[in-house]
Amino acid sequence: MNHLNEEQLVLYHYGEAQDRGDAAEHLESCESCRANYQALQRVLAAVDNMPVPERNEGYGAEVWRQLRPQLGDRTARVASRWSEVRSLFQLPRWVLAGGLAALVVGAFLAGRFWSQPTPNAAPSIAQAPSPLPLSPQARERVLLREIGDHLERSQLALIELINTRTNGAVDISAEQVLARELAAINRLFRRAAADAGEPGMAGVLEELELVLVEIGNGPVQLSADEFTALRQRVGDDGLLFKVKVVTAQVRAKQRDASRELAANRS
Amino acid sequence: MMEDSDAALVTRAREGDQDAFGVLVERHSTRLFQLAFRMTSNEQDAEDTVQETFLRAYRQLDRFESRAGFATWLHRIAANCSLDLLRKRKRQDESGDAVDADGAEPVLSGAPTPDQYVFHSEVQQTVEVTMKQLTPMERTAFVLRHFEGKSIEEIGRVLGTAPSATKQGIFRAVQKMRRALEPVVNATS
Repeated sequence: MNHLNEEQLVLYHYGEAQDRGDAAEHLESCESCRANYQALQRVLAAVDNMPVPERNEGYGAEVWRQLRPQLGDRTARVASRWSEVRSLFQLPRWVLAGGLAALVVGAFLAGRFWSQPTPNAAPSIAQAPSPLPLSPQARERVLLREIGDHLERSQLALIELINTRTNGAVDISAEQVLARELAAINRLFRRAAADAGEPGMAGVLEELELVLVEIGNGPVQLSADEFTALRQRVGDDGLLFKVKVVTAQVRAKQRDASRELAANRS
Repeated sequence: MMEDSDAALVTRAREGDQDAFGVLVERHSTRLFQLAFRMTSNEQDAEDTVQETFLRAYRQLDRFESRAGFATWLHRIAANCSLDLLRKRKRQDESGDAVDADGAEPVLSGAPTPDQYVFHSEVQQTVEVTMKQLTPMERTAFVLRHFEGKSIEEIGRVLGTAPSATKQGIFRAVQKMRRALEPVVNATS
């Protein structure tokens, strides 16, 4: 056997050499390789001396003390979002889902989303099958704000994700939690848009939902290829652009609704 | 009284028992800190990494497969968190804005401070400095192999690299370490 080169010695040291038996035999018989290997062992033994600051016995408890409120915050954050909306409608969550969907349907049917509002539009919304004890204008503003917020959050989440720089695998565990949350909310708006015969908006929301579900339920680790494909789907294939356009339309409507309200009050 | 196993605690934590997760945190924090410190060479970064690791783990509890071993799973998350941090620091370093908010030394910066020289031996110092000079990929591969004893396959999973590239990463790290350390080790032996 030829002399062992440095790479072979390193792999041998870590038990990764393919021909470990041959390498061991060679080291037995070859003084120069043996000396080289011993030098390597001395260096790696010195690395073991790398100091790590000691943690005291209470370190784990301290970590938990700091961590626990953050876990609570996360739960509370999701809960408070629902609670905020729920308190608006004073209804339990499952009714809220139906109510909000009905509200969306009502708004779509009334044509207040994509056409100019008319004085007759408000009664149409009021006639929508909604049990919500709010005025039509208030419902519309809440709805527009909710949809706009949702679309903006989705945009930000996607932008942040596709701008992650990587040379290899990407861990998207944190993004997955948010993606699942957004997908659940998105589903509500998407169904309502479809029921209300708004195929354009429903289409964009469907596309968005597919990507959110894919991110939320996919692997925690994406390979470089998988990440590139996702990035292309979100960025290059125009999903982000479409979401931006819809967001801009919703926000414009929201501004119109606020102006209308201000005019009615004055 | 017998201690609950990790698997039993994970099951309880999944059912919403935060105290069960707390026991896991207390049990594994120190070992995670050691890994994170070897990866980042910065005490504060290592502590932050431990926190981030448990946060990610908590959010991902449903994805944990019990056959993998909770400690192994946690260490993989910690290695990923550390790698993310190293890459972030490297980008900051390359863009010239490697300034820590609290003035701490950036991970990939150069020479140690005079105080550190006072408190550490030359060998230890050389190891620390050389570790900081490794690329994030080399450093991850080396720490996971040398200190954690992880397999090439497992390291590749963290790095997203093929076995040959993973081996190359370990080899290059050892080569750099050897070049820097051999003169010091020989002089002191």
